[in-house]
Amino acid sequence: MHHKVKGSALVALGASVALVLAGCSGAPSATVTSSGPVTMTFWHNSTTGDGLKYWQDTVAAFEKENPNVTINIQAIQNEDMDGKLQTALNSNDGPTIFMARGGGKLADVVAADKVMDITSQISPDVKSAYGTGIFSAFTIDGKIYGMPTSVLPGGIYYSKDLFKQAGIDTPPTTFDELNTAVTKLKAAGIAPIALGGKDAWPAAHWYYFMALRDCSKDVMNTAAAKKDFSDPCWVKAGEDLKAFSDTTPFNTGFLTTSAQQGAGSSAGMLANHKAAMELMGAWDPGVIADLTPDKKALPDLGWFPFPSTASGAGDPTAMMGGSDGFACLKNAPAACVQFLNFIASKANQEAYATAFKTLPASQQAQSVVTDPALKDVLASYNKAAYVMLWLDTMYGQNVGNALNGGVVNMLAGKGSPADIVSAVKTAAAKG
Amino acid sequence: MSESAEALAIRSAGSQPARDGATTASSRAGRPGRRKADWRQRLEITLLSGPAILIFLTFVIFPVFMAAYYGFFKWKGFGVPTNFVGLQNYLTIFTDKNFLDALKHNGFIVVASLIMQGPAAIAFALLLNQNIRGRSIIRVLIFVPYVISEVIVGTGWGLMLQYQGAVNTLLTHMGLSAFRVDWIADPNIAIWSLMVIISWKYIGFAVILMLAGMQSIPDELYEAAAIDGASYWKIQRWITLPLLGPTIRVWAFLSIIGSMQLFDLVYIIWGQYVSSTAGTSTMATYMVREGRLAGNYGFGNAVGVAIFVISLLIALTYQRFVLRRDTEGALTGDGGRKRK
Repeated sequence: MHHKVKGSALVALGASVALVLAGCSGAPSATVTSSGPVTMTFWHNSTTGDGLKYWQDTVAAFEKENPNVTINIQAIQNEDMDGKLQTALNSNDGPTIFMARGGGKLADVVAADKVMDITSQISPDVKSAYGTGIFSAFTIDGKIYGMPTSVLPGGIYYSKDLFKQAGIDTPPTTFDELNTAVTKLKAAGIAPIALGGKDAWPAAHWYYFMALRDCSKDVMNTAAAKKDFSDPCWVKAGEDLKAFSDTTPFNTGFLTTSAQQGAGSSAGMLANHKAAMELMGAWDPGVIADLTPDKKALPDLGWFPFPSTASGAGDPTAMMGGSDGFACLKNAPAACVQFLNFIASKANQEAYATAFKTLPASQQAQSVVTDPALKDVLASYNKAAYVMLWLDTMYGQNVGNALNGGVVNMLAGKGSPADIVSAVKTAAAKG
Repeated sequence: MSESAEALAIRSAGSQPARDGATTASSRAGRPGRRKADWRQRLEITLLSGPAILIFLTFVIFPVFMAAYYGFFKWKGFGVPTNFVGLQNYLTIFTDKNFLDALKHNGFIVVASLIMQGPAAIAFALLLNQNIRGRSIIRVLIFVPYVISEVIVGTGWGLMLQYQGAVNTLLTHMGLSAFRVDWIADPNIAIWSLMVIISWKYIGFAVILMLAGMQSIPDELYEAAAIDGASYWKIQRWITLPLLGPTIRVWAFLSIIGSMQLFDLVYIIWGQYVSSTAGTSTMATYMVREGRLAGNYGFGNAVGVAIFVISLLIALTYQRFVLRRDTEGALTGDGGRKRK
């Protein structure tokens, strides 16, 4: 789900039609010995700009080093990725290398025996450059199934210029301060917070972060492991969010605002100074940069951690986020893991972080981060008491979908905080 | 399903009299002569309709049975389903508020489409049936939206109806900023916006049908009425409308089926996730969201079967009680239809 997309919906649509056609024209199954020619398919979600170019260049470099390997790239629009991947895997026509974000979604694929265990094949260099913690999102029952390429902790991105214009001197650290900032922005005629409700997950992130502040680490872990939402803090998080949303901090029409598509999307609003803030993951600077009028990074983009709530049981330094990464299809040729190790090298990770304007997974490559907002993210990330995975990623498609839908309903005034929890129970009956 | 197969058989059989229409009269008189040609005719039917029936069985009937089968399982779509749950998926469907809401929206769209498009289409057709200047241009203009792809229509209207979109901007410039609302995001208004888009999109089709119906009404009737001194409105009320009956009933049938299956416009405008929140979800968007996006393929198949059964019941009921008089009626004649 999260991440990348730009261009108009039409272009995306045209592209996906083209992709479908390309897919029909024959997907190679890639079962060739290491000496003979190897053809692999590679699905990622960067359909435009520097990201698209990064993957083209990186694949070309890998093919140059390994002349017997051919990699067919398919860039797939992010919101289409989950469904397309599942369909392809179901019909045994899955890509050799595909995007993965860990958690329950990856667990579903592991349970279906469609993904390769790469634990023993990760090169020692990569292991030492990455550190062990970063692999946890891709680890299921002690086995590693994916190679992370980025760390994407969430927080609030904001426009320093608009804050100044509204007379806000320092970024808010508590919800009281955030409320004050919202009031000031409204008084200055600025939409305070952009929200891409059409894609559901951006709205749900508000609830997840509220829960991160309101629930203790233990409660969060219990919910993660057992889908147990019985602790009252889950309802309190909903109530806190409801109270906040009742002050109408979000842009008008947020329900049909998409997250990343075009100038009217929430990222686009920030890029064009139509809104002051957005709660997003660390991919946001790159997405925003593609939506500014001159397609360059937004110069006044700042970042602050999600504010703390009154009487919340969570650690105020705790963060939530995810990792983008890549996995190999079960029984993929050896070149597949070789490619994963290749993209994890220091040089490629640095190029990745620069192209995507994000944080690289490799600790060795973190020195290339120069964007001031991202530097703040990195600093908070490195001193966070603990980091939780996005709840919808953690719970997988079924429960994650229901959770996101419940939050959207509540924000649109069609449901209560308790309904969020009951939506999760209904979902459990369907899958 | 057997109904569809039967319909197909009737259709292919129905083409016979047309083909050897010239000989119909003689063969009716001399039955024995026809027997001889029977084997040849059978071979011909088999050869000509065989491929179509094969494709129909493979891509329509077989998937229906497979969906019914998968619907009895909790199944993530990987491999062979093993977790048999009986009718539990169906119980879940009909107790899920989101599905019942979607069903309600479909019902609303069915009724509102008939009420909004029917009278307007007849009025347009009456207008375009006159000898007025620019008639053919107006005809084309009314028909154009029907020809444009749903994706383009959805994208275009979706952009225009955003809160910051063209419609609200226009209202502001006209000094009507008090009437600015959130056309597609406000759950109280969204379905009405959808109805406007649907009417705009599909009314051209209704108008063309009605026009064709009107033009098949013999001029003599109008002339006779005019000689008798009937007014324009009387003529429309007592000649055009009754004789347009079969056309209206067929159009209504197509409209109902289209409304039951509505998917694309909603999916384009409201995306994958928020149509149920905006109050515009349909059974089809529910199926895609709960089946495909949530990865519950067994449940999704059950929803598909539920939609199939609901649509089939409505279609059969309509055929039995409304269309019957047309299939047996005096207007269409009884050529070849009696055997039903």
